[in-house]
Amino acid sequence: MENPYLPIKTEVLDVIEESPAIKTFRLKPDTPLHFKAGQFIEMSIPGKGEAPFTPSSSHYEKDKLEITIMKAGRITSMIHNLKKGDTVGLRGPYGKEYPLPEFEGKEILLVGGGVGLAPLRALFLALTHDIEKYKSVLFCCGSKTPSDIIYKDCVLDKWQSLDKKRIKFRVTVDRKDDSWKGNVGLVTTTLDKLDINLKNSVSIVCGPPIMMKFATFKLLEVGYKPEQIYLSMEKNMSCGIGKCGHCRLGNFYACKDGPVFRYDKINHIHEIWD
Amino acid sequence: MESHFINKSNLDRLVKSLSKSYKIFAPVKSDNKRFYRKIGDEGLRDSVIGEIRAVEPIKSFYFPARTKIAEYFSKDDSDKKERPIAIIGAKSCDLASFKVMDYVYSQEPFKDPFYISKREAGLIISSDCTLCGETCFCVAIGIMPYPTEGFDINLSEIEGGYLAETGSSKGEKIIKEYFKLFQGAEPYAQKRDSNRKKLKEDLLEHVKKSGIPAKDSIQPAFKSKFDTSLWEETSKTCVECGACNMICPACHCFILMDQKKEDGFERLKMWDSCLLMSFARVAGGANPRKLLAQRMRNRIDKKFNFFPDTIGRFGCTGCGRCIEACPGKIDIREVLSKL
Repeated sequence: MENPYLPIKTEVLDVIEESPAIKTFRLKPDTPLHFKAGQFIEMSIPGKGEAPFTPSSSHYEKDKLEITIMKAGRITSMIHNLKKGDTVGLRGPYGKEYPLPEFEGKEILLVGGGVGLAPLRALFLALTHDIEKYKSVLFCCGSKTPSDIIYKDCVLDKWQSLDKKRIKFRVTVDRKDDSWKGNVGLVTTTLDKLDINLKNSVSIVCGPPIMMKFATFKLLEVGYKPEQIYLSMEKNMSCGIGKCGHCRLGNFYACKDGPVFRYDKINHIHEIWD
Repeated sequence: MESHFINKSNLDRLVKSLSKSYKIFAPVKSDNKRFYRKIGDEGLRDSVIGEIRAVEPIKSFYFPARTKIAEYFSKDDSDKKERPIAIIGAKSCDLASFKVMDYVYSQEPFKDPFYISKREAGLIISSDCTLCGETCFCVAIGIMPYPTEGFDINLSEIEGGYLAETGSSKGEKIIKEYFKLFQGAEPYAQKRDSNRKKLKEDLLEHVKKSGIPAKDSIQPAFKSKFDTSLWEETSKTCVECGACNMICPACHCFILMDQKKEDGFERLKMWDSCLLMSFARVAGGANPRKLLAQRMRNRIDKKFNFFPDTIGRFGCTGCGRCIEACPGKIDIREVLSKL
């Protein structure tokens, strides 16, 4: 029987500084991990511990992956000290991915906040890989300040010109600085005046809990139904395989039944936004 | 399912012989409590086969408090062969806890090889309770004080010996192999049934005073009390020591801990407690159960709401160990009675 707790030796190929608190780590595991966008992996610092992260790179890249991590706690602080050539442990992938077949032919609305853009980047790259399968993609990105925007050259430039007919962006910051010429306001403000046929749309939200809560409420307000909203729930996913009990969410475990949940499946559960 | 009779000295012979292929544990008595001890050449001399459950939960043998589960970055040794474990004198509540543990650890797509391999290789020779413990309340939640399933062989104490019933092909094989140690069960069957009936009645009488709702109304009652002050009241004397979780045979939660060792690093799987503040906390400090009352409610929720929905039975066995272990005198029977 396979040991699901065993980490795979992984080399840090590169470290990319995305913002003052967020870095992207390019990794090459000894044995490839075949994740799908939305699934997560457990990344460990040998001897120190591990934490769950959703890869931010394209799942079409088979032997390498990227993980975008905000410095937020003990493990993430140690991860931020990693350098090119260092060794980490990876195991996974775990959990449910974004159900891409359900998105086919639809107008897709991505709503991301802060480091929540990481899983959405993996999703965006999967969508654009077969963009003809989808009617359109509107990517709404929110960050605290212009310097907190991650994947800046993609979000503000490269991705914007990928397919101008099908793919559109709305980028906003909570607080601007002198360099910023774009929208100012919470990400929820980008959800006003949507040029989307709601009946044929799905929305996918990822960000800090408070942002997910208000973005979801805003989506409901503009006319999305709970079954058209997909959320990536951040819980304490420790074992990753539905055994350790930490990430229970009602009758689900975020690690095995999520982390991607359709809102109508979890909207009856207490404490989901905390 | 077959029944046979085995007298005490023959059971002793059987156990001594089984100890060649199994690591055997059976309860012994100390200070009017029962604790599992390893059985060696001395056989069952001091063991207590009947009476009530041991102090420690049976999970300790299959899911020890601390297990090494991985090393950085060595080859997997989860298949390492150890001498299998045999438990003699496990009680009905212990077997009920296996229903929860087996579900959790064998659930696809990722099985826990450490638990599963021990369970698959292990042998369970359970026994009927012959007493009613002060904190026992199994019958109130639908569990009988005698095993009905989940054993290889079950022993019902009777007139200088035991009526041995097989519950698996592994049990049948043992009885076949040691057939000479057994006699016909016919003369004892009726007596066993009347003993069981009597103890069940005594227990029902014992739990009556706790005021626990009828089995089928516990889950709906829990749901109706979700948003009430009951949880704050209940947690008033909780000191967050986690003893209730550790001693609970059906509490399966664990934490993974990494540590340095001489020539590298290793990963441990250790029992964890949902009453502790850090249990559900995520990086950055967000915590869906910041309040002790929420964590107390979560513990009851998991046992009397989550497990009924997911496996159709409670995540509580009515063993009463948590009542004995709690320094804050929190009594789960009382909590249930207030639902």
